[in-house]
Amino acid sequence: MAVITVKDLSKNFKVKVKEKGLKGSIKSIIKPKYNIIKAVKNISFSIEKGEMVAFIGPNGAGKSTSIKMMTGILFPDKGEIDVLGLNPEKDRRKLAYSIGCVFGQKEQLWTHLTPYDNFKFFGAIYDIPEKQVEKKIDEFRELFELDEFINTPVRNLSLGQRIRCEIVASLIHEPKVLFLDEPTIGLDPVVKEKIRTLIKRMNKEYKTTVILTSHDVSDIEKLCKRVIIVNKGQIVLDDTMENLKYHYLNKKIIDAKMKEKVNLEDKDGITILKDKDYNLKLEVDLKKTSISEAINLLNTDNIIDINISNVPLEQIISSIYKDGDK
Amino acid sequence: MLTEVKNQIKVNILSTKYALEREMLNKVTFVSNIIFMILNNASFIVQWVILYAIKDNIGGYSFKQVLLLWGLAAMGYGVSRFFFKNAFNLSDMINTGKLDNYLVQPKNVLLAAITSDVEVSALGDILYAYIILLIYGLSLKSFLLFTLFGITAGFILASVSVIFSSLAFWFGRVEVISNTLNSIMTNFATYPEGIFKGIIKILFYTILPLGFASYLPVQIMTNFNIYNLLVVIFIVLLFIGLAFLTFYKGLRKYSSTNLMNARV
Repeated sequence: MAVITVKDLSKNFKVKVKEKGLKGSIKSIIKPKYNIIKAVKNISFSIEKGEMVAFIGPNGAGKSTSIKMMTGILFPDKGEIDVLGLNPEKDRRKLAYSIGCVFGQKEQLWTHLTPYDNFKFFGAIYDIPEKQVEKKIDEFRELFELDEFINTPVRNLSLGQRIRCEIVASLIHEPKVLFLDEPTIGLDPVVKEKIRTLIKRMNKEYKTTVILTSHDVSDIEKLCKRVIIVNKGQIVLDDTMENLKYHYLNKKIIDAKMKEKVNLEDKDGITILKDKDYNLKLEVDLKKTSISEAINLLNTDNIIDINISNVPLEQIISSIYKDGDK
Repeated sequence: MLTEVKNQIKVNILSTKYALEREMLNKVTFVSNIIFMILNNASFIVQWVILYAIKDNIGGYSFKQVLLLWGLAAMGYGVSRFFFKNAFNLSDMINTGKLDNYLVQPKNVLLAAITSDVEVSALGDILYAYIILLIYGLSLKSFLLFTLFGITAGFILASVSVIFSSLAFWFGRVEVISNTLNSIMTNFATYPEGIFKGIIKILFYTILPLGFASYLPVQIMTNFNIYNLLVVIFIVLLFIGLAFLTFYKGLRKYSSTNLMNARV
């Protein structure tokens, strides 16, 4: 069953254009000029219950605008949105009881209060009886390992602890859909991993549908089974992570350390990425040639060490972004 | 419906309470802000003492009425800035995308936004207002009417600010306009009505409704009239309604931002 259905969604922003310097400023007051930025252009997709979907794209691609329309923050210019059977534009307050949002860049917690008091405040916002909130806090205390700092004012918490509390605050009313907008921004790798594990656990335990935006490819790779890539306001890819890897991982990287210097040139299917001293780095397109053919070119007796790896997912995603730019 | 209103008020009171607790963290600043505001207000009364030593009647007001006017002005200012501080920062909140957090919560966005902060020095204004009432002459009737008109004035000031600040949805940076109009409302509230004539007087009974925030309440307190009292209440409700209407009309044009911000 689809919990989110988006059909032909569009949103434009009117932006004032100003020429350089003071003269430009005066001109823009007398005769203002505007540019229409098409932030989102006719996007359509649907998301099923319990799915964890990565909603990604380069900066300014339109992903935050789309999420803000799905949560009722922004009003669309055109198109239809259905989240849990409700229209965010008309039923914003009703919908808010069933969705949760974490904006990595925008803090919702009161910094002088402890996480415990913050959670109680959020309980009041969602009209949850006190006893029920306390029960919920106890439950999350264990799941999100909050014991160590639940009674410490938020301003004294580390960024990782704070983000954990932000997530808990957004879950206190048991939302059916959770929007995570760059939840791991600015976190160190260990804390990131912890947050990911917790999100996974939460999805498993509560069957919460998760829509995640992140510039960190590991977040996407480790959490989501489906990826929607947005660029220039349009969806350029909507596929499973498995398919993405299968279709785009037809290139391999060979790193080789040689005994003697080899003089190689680009060949059909083989691209030399680096050739410095006795170190070589080749990209092999498996659609055109094979790994053994590339190794043969190097002469196996001449190889001291060799490493064959996949093209990093990050590179795949950025090439999709670039394709979208063309 | 009743439960919804009850829950909404509960959240707004909690929000004000937490904001006050935050301000109280720094004891010295908290107390000194209140005391200095009382002293600041008191210093202005001195000029009126001097003026009334020369003349018995200024702009149709006796010294006692000017005292009352000052008391009501301080009370209205205090109530509006303490309980609805962000009504006076609303245009900035609109321009910097700070409404996002309130928009994803199942509560009234405008109320959540404007009650999310308190101005501590405004407590000094409220205390000062009651000191003035003591000097004016305290009775049960004067206390109740003074409190009521302090609250209605606070609602009027906050509503007018919301209306002008909401223009930010259409025109962007309107801080200068809204701040200027708010200052006019605050400054002119301490002068006797009789010194204003013509268009200024019309303004004070229309788009800058000082007449209903200060002048009419002073009249009612010195010469009680139920009809005038009902007019004040009606006008307050009208401005509250207009504030909600303008804000929600503008909210459709809200464009948010991706600026980083924190609730500190």
